[in-house]
Amino acid sequence: MGFNYRFLSDENAEVIRRYDLLHPGAGPRHTDIARPAEFYIDSGGIVQWVNLTGNIAVRARPEEALRVIDALKQ
Amino acid sequence: MADKIDMNQKWNWPLWIGFAVAIAGLFSYPLFAQYPLTRDFPWANLLLFAVGGILLGAGLVRAFGRPQLYHGKIFGSIFAVLALLAFGFFAHEIFYVHRQVPLSAQAPRVGENAPAFTLPDQNGKRVALADLLSPNGAILIFYRGHW
Repeated sequence: MGFNYRFLSDENAEVIRRYDLLHPGAGPRHTDIARPAEFYIDSGGIVQWVNLTGNIAVRARPEEALRVIDALKQ
Repeated sequence: MADKIDMNQKWNWPLWIGFAVAIAGLFSYPLFAQYPLTRDFPWANLLLFAVGGILLGAGLVRAFGRPQLYHGKIFGSIFAVLALLAFGFFAHEIFYVHRQVPLSAQAPRVGENAPAFTLPDQNGKRVALADLLSPNGAILIFYRGHW
């Protein structure tokens, strides 16, 4: 199973706001940025996994995401 | 009994090395933060602070216990205070500031529809979430750099 990466730019934080992930003032020079967050969305558009870290230094690792996907596919 | 005043005082190395190690505990964070193993919990930095603290303590015991043999009552105390301040700053950043994240109470939850969106990719091409979902779904990562 291969993976493709797409990098999308949310310059005005519109989608970040729509997902309620704005972290005001936390960026360089107190700009507003997203809190780190990871979702797995299935082919039907339903959220199947959410990882909202409580510590900005601790983020989901690739192995964790793969474990989640494997578990959901069983 | 070696109670005579020794004109050739010995170098109180634990003060210098301990201070250097403790300060390295602070400034090595950008290095260790590159690796999940030393970023998720900053044990490498805490270890440096601990080693530095122990050495500083040993150096101060020497300086105050045998001042005729070892220098460092004054500069050793200044080193110790500076090292404590560095540790306090580090602990505040790591154990308090890093945990100040918004509630995100309205963020999509498991079982809900992911809100649709269309955003430009690195080539300026507009991409919709729906374009990314077939056939296996997608991992959506809100990446903000290391801040």
